[in-house]
Amino acid sequence: MLKTLVCIAIASLLAAATSSAATDKDRAAVIYDGVPTEVTASSEASKDLWITMDDLKRATRFVVKPQGVCRDELCFPLPAKRKAEFISKRGADTWFNLTAFAALVKQPVAHDEKNGVWYFGKRDDERGTYLASLEAPSFTLPDVNGKMHSLADYRGKKVLLVTWASW
Amino acid sequence: MPGWQTFYHDLNAKNFEIISIAQDTGGAKDAAPWITAAKPEYTALIDDKHLVTQLYNMVNVPTAVWINEKGMIVRPNEVAYVDNRYKAMHGIDAGPYLDAIRDWVANGDRSTFVMSEQEVKERLKPPSPERAMADVEFALAEYLHKNGNTADAIAHFKEAQRLDPDNWNYKRQAWALSDAEKNYGTSFMKEVQKLNGKPYYAPRKLPEVKKP
Repeated sequence: MLKTLVCIAIASLLAAATSSAATDKDRAAVIYDGVPTEVTASSEASKDLWITMDDLKRATRFVVKPQGVCRDELCFPLPAKRKAEFISKRGADTWFNLTAFAALVKQPVAHDEKNGVWYFGKRDDERGTYLASLEAPSFTLPDVNGKMHSLADYRGKKVLLVTWASW
Repeated sequence: MPGWQTFYHDLNAKNFEIISIAQDTGGAKDAAPWITAAKPEYTALIDDKHLVTQLYNMVNVPTAVWINEKGMIVRPNEVAYVDNRYKAMHGIDAGPYLDAIRDWVANGDRSTFVMSEQEVKERLKPPSPERAMADVEFALAEYLHKNGNTADAIAHFKEAQRLDPDNWNYKRQAWALSDAEKNYGTSFMKEVQKLNGKPYYAPRKLPEVKKP
């Protein structure tokens, strides 16, 4: 059963790769908030990553609204005179320039062209916020048994956080 | 890790926890054998994305942070050896640091070793734009490596190392994932020799304690 599924998955990936060569569309992997999502990328003469509005929502949970690019309570207004740099209607789809948006919100991006992978890091406003509050940044990580632990679970105790590595 | 287990066990303090975090791209495969062997009574976690390295702007292991009962940082990043196994290499004596932890556990925020907010703020540095880029290049390299593209990961590991040249975690982890001599033209020992007496760890400053 699993083997069949894997075969189907590989076959469909190959099919996607072959068909993409014939059009100006390509598959790409977007990693956002640490989560990878496969998207359709427009490779139209640009170093930027353009994705469809559907993929924008799937990969980042951001949606374009009249007031800006929003996720939950968070909204980043797009500069009125530069809208064309971010949004483009081509054919049936409306495309969004995710790398231009990253530059706007000061979010570092790393790209591997060969594998079509785009890694989006933490925005400027998410990094180093603890420098003012001095509250230790939270994290949730597994122990050897896979049980998850958060720093917040240890509130009320003194914590010596200490890193090490096997290498 | 066995050193921390002994320390933690002997201290036997209800209001104190050690959270040890492995910075290992290989995850449990690489870190678990060490943890299992040490049989820690404290909390031992595995971070296969170097998230804590990024979150706390760390560049080395072992690095420790003291966090008080309210979740506030009272001593930021500093080298934290539990014994003197590698003292010949780095010259750092573990003893005074362990005494400092004992003092903190006994005296809490009144401990000589707890820093004022101002002192913590002076020591904490905001991550540079180069560090922010290094973090994403490293994360992309890890992603490629974990998906079987180890050869393609190397260029991104190298880019992370170029952007944040003092980050030993990003160097040593990348070297450990492949043949360092062949793919990076170097090795950890060669790089340590290149330091030529320059300290491998940022110097640690503990306040002087008057002996009774």
